[in-house]
Amino acid sequence: MSLELKDLGITDGTDMILEGITYTFEPGRVYVLMGRTSSGKTSLMRTIAGLLDFTEGDMYFNGEDFDVLPTWKRSTSMVYQQFINYPNRTVLGNVLFPLLRSGLSKEEAKSKALEMIDKVGLSNFVDRKPGQLSGGQQQRVAIARALIRNADILLLDEPLMNLDYKLREQLREDFRDLFTASKNSVTIYATTEPAEALLIGDELLVMHEGRVIQSGVPAEVFENPNSVAVAQIVNEPPMSVLTAEISNGTFSIGHRMKSQVPVHLVGVPDGEYQAGFRASELTIGSEGDMTEEGEVDVAEVAGSETLVYLNTPTGYTIVQEKGIHQYISGDKVGITIPPERAFLFDLSGNLVVAPGN
Amino acid sequence: MGIKFYKRLFLLPGLLLLIAIIIFPLLFSIRVSFSSWNVSRSGLDFVGGSNWARMWSDADFWGAMLRLLNFGVVTTSIQYILGFMLAHYVWQGIKSGRFFRLIWLVPLMTTPSIMAIVWRSIFREDIGAANGLLKSVGLSTIGWSTEIVPAMFTIYVAEIWQWTPFMFLFLLAGLLILPKEPFLAAEIDGSTPTRTFWRITLPLMAPISIGAILIRLIESSKIFDSIFVLTSAGPGNATETPTYFLWKRSLTEFQIAYGATLALTYLIVMIIVLTIVAKVLTYISRPRGW
Amino acid sequence: MSRIFKYAFIIFWTLFVLAPLSWALVTSFKTPAAVNQGATFIPWVQFDPTLDGWQDILGISGYANLIPNMINSMIITFFASLISVTLGGLAAYGLSRFRYGWKYYGNSDIIFFFIAQRILPPVVLAIPFFLLLKNLQLLDTHLGLILVLTSGLMPIVVWLMVDFFNQIPREIDEMAMLEGCNPFQAFRKAILPLSKPGIAISAIFAVIFGWNDLFFALVLTFTKVKTLPAAVVALNGTVTPFWTLAASAIFSILPLLGFVFVVERYLAKGGFSGAVR
Repeated sequence: MSLELKDLGITDGTDMILEGITYTFEPGRVYVLMGRTSSGKTSLMRTIAGLLDFTEGDMYFNGEDFDVLPTWKRSTSMVYQQFINYPNRTVLGNVLFPLLRSGLSKEEAKSKALEMIDKVGLSNFVDRKPGQLSGGQQQRVAIARALIRNADILLLDEPLMNLDYKLREQLREDFRDLFTASKNSVTIYATTEPAEALLIGDELLVMHEGRVIQSGVPAEVFENPNSVAVAQIVNEPPMSVLTAEISNGTFSIGHRMKSQVPVHLVGVPDGEYQAGFRASELTIGSEGDMTEEGEVDVAEVAGSETLVYLNTPTGYTIVQEKGIHQYISGDKVGITIPPERAFLFDLSGNLVVAPGN
Repeated sequence: MGIKFYKRLFLLPGLLLLIAIIIFPLLFSIRVSFSSWNVSRSGLDFVGGSNWARMWSDADFWGAMLRLLNFGVVTTSIQYILGFMLAHYVWQGIKSGRFFRLIWLVPLMTTPSIMAIVWRSIFREDIGAANGLLKSVGLSTIGWSTEIVPAMFTIYVAEIWQWTPFMFLFLLAGLLILPKEPFLAAEIDGSTPTRTFWRITLPLMAPISIGAILIRLIESSKIFDSIFVLTSAGPGNATETPTYFLWKRSLTEFQIAYGATLALTYLIVMIIVLTIVAKVLTYISRPRGW
Repeated sequence: MSRIFKYAFIIFWTLFVLAPLSWALVTSFKTPAAVNQGATFIPWVQFDPTLDGWQDILGISGYANLIPNMINSMIITFFASLISVTLGGLAAYGLSRFRYGWKYYGNSDIIFFFIAQRILPPVVLAIPFFLLLKNLQLLDTHLGLILVLTSGLMPIVVWLMVDFFNQIPREIDEMAMLEGCNPFQAFRKAILPLSKPGIAISAIFAVIFGWNDLFFALVLTFTKVKTLPAAVVALNGTVTPFWTLAASAIFSILPLLGFVFVVERYLAKGGFSGAVR
């Protein structure tokens, strides 16, 4: 019961919306699609759902050619990013709708629906209409509707994107439990948040400009992004990528800061490279071999951390600091770069060495 | 049963029925315009473009077309202004708004040709209400159907009475859909009602306004009922419009071939004019910063 | 100051709207003699009201009977509107959701084709329709007029409904299809319930334009099937009996008013405001 994509592509005449997607999705696993907006995540999901036609390649499910099977004959469910529900039906009516064609008796259908509604925590709202519910509640109705059919393929397109922070965290946990219940489904979940991928996903597919540029176990991909593009996608906030050079046993950044070649870079041939640093691994301060001074561009507080965006002589840098700190644009602060945490990429963006754990 | 089947299921019944109903008349008109079918000679002979040549130099025809500029543009503009005023007042709120709204919609539910008869009875020089009122306040009576300007006036009145409610309905629906935010912002910024109207309300209503104006232009260009009943295109042919002219030629004088030629010309001209008007209106109302 | 203007205008316009109708109403109760005397307005004060006018048109006095004509109008308008709204609505939904094309022509060209039917003045089609219906033996029949009117009413429905459907989020259709509905079922179960206001407005305009048709009724029907507007205008052609005309004017307005009052309740604000936030 696996979903096979072979060299799938969509072109609209001038651009490739999707290109060369080849992958096999197995039932019972959660696949996370990560990528920037318009990287093709939504297009891929819509193609699997049958809402978008593909122009090249093949798609098979359980041996059946999905090219000829229209949407309503596929066993697919989808949760959208904008909460969509049938506005003229109550919560119960909404969750019942998918069961109308399943041959269950009215009582059976109703009890299944009520069970699912309970699972998403909306038992008190059974008779309300979507217009009377909050965003989080509406999305939970949509989720209940998607899960109730136990479809073979479950698609979720950034379902938490339009919810507030707290709700997102809470629902992320709920998802983990809900998904383990769909043992036989292929679950595909699209997001831009690395935290979600790490929490929910069994496998991660990174998409960029219509192609899958890396796939694997989420933790693996995080530790070993195969290119700058992947690194930027799987890190939130993005990595700061600076020019680097190795020559004569010296590792320098931006031709200014120098240090000994760190352990993980020993053996790398001399030459020019790009070095990427995670925002959480840079620090404000001036201790260590590699420091420089930068000017604060913008600082924003996110949760219990502060993100500081800085202009430095080497380039634009982003530092993620624990705790809440005050900065004003124009403040001059020192930044410390840990050479032992450098992700080294060659000039075309491919990974050379990643720092281990 | 793929998606193609359903695509066709939705569109084709209606589209095919429409094509079936009008394809013959349309083709027939084109064919007959090249013949000389009239009261003395029926049948489809072929006389080439002689009807078309005659059309070009037919001063009466083009006079009627120009008169459309008068009737169509003037009545549509007045209907738009009045309709907008009414819609705006209702939108902002007036006492017993619902009552007025229902009353103002009544003309739309009347039959134009029958109302034209009522207007005729009002504008009769001898026993009509209009002259009766004038006499009772000591003014002299007006020759409503014997003089050009009054005759046009009667048509204006009938048309404006009949169709302003349409503008009212359309524009009110548009106003009700407008988002509240720009208006709240304007209020906070201390804008005056006049400024708010010209700078915010009107521009936001541009698409709906254009739609309403185009619809009214299309419909009013076919004006026939009121002319037929009220003035019979009189005095002389001062209020003769293309549809009336066509009716006279085709159906009373039985110049079928020539009538078809005129009709097709009318169609082509109207399509061109309306397309231009649509483009111009869209251009004028495109968003501009200030 | 502007408030005075506002209410003055409102009152003026209301009086203007009511003026011709009240004149007709008042005149409908006059005798021939009263009408020929000159313009009078107030019953009992300026003239003696009678029911002559009404008796004349309702077949009671033997002069004319407009009731069969009204029934004809009802039958014809009902069926013409029904077909137009049904087929037009389906076509509009298709044009809203799917992409049609044939060589260079696409959806907007198809919509333009529909709308172009309204630009055609009835006169263009009058003679050809006359000949066509004659050959099909549909002259002076209900069916003939119904078909002809449908060609004029469908464009209105399509124009209104395409816009309307475009405002309903496509995602709802998609949801329904994902949940096992083929497109037609999706339309019926998910979209139609949300479309009541649009259908109501289309129906109102279809009925109004269908009922009010004068031209085709004059050209294509004669004695067996005569619609109300045609009958009333025919009364006007001979000696002008104003009192009966006034009565017939009022009489012919009532059905349409009735219809609109009934349908108006469906014009509640859109039912899909809670679908997508």
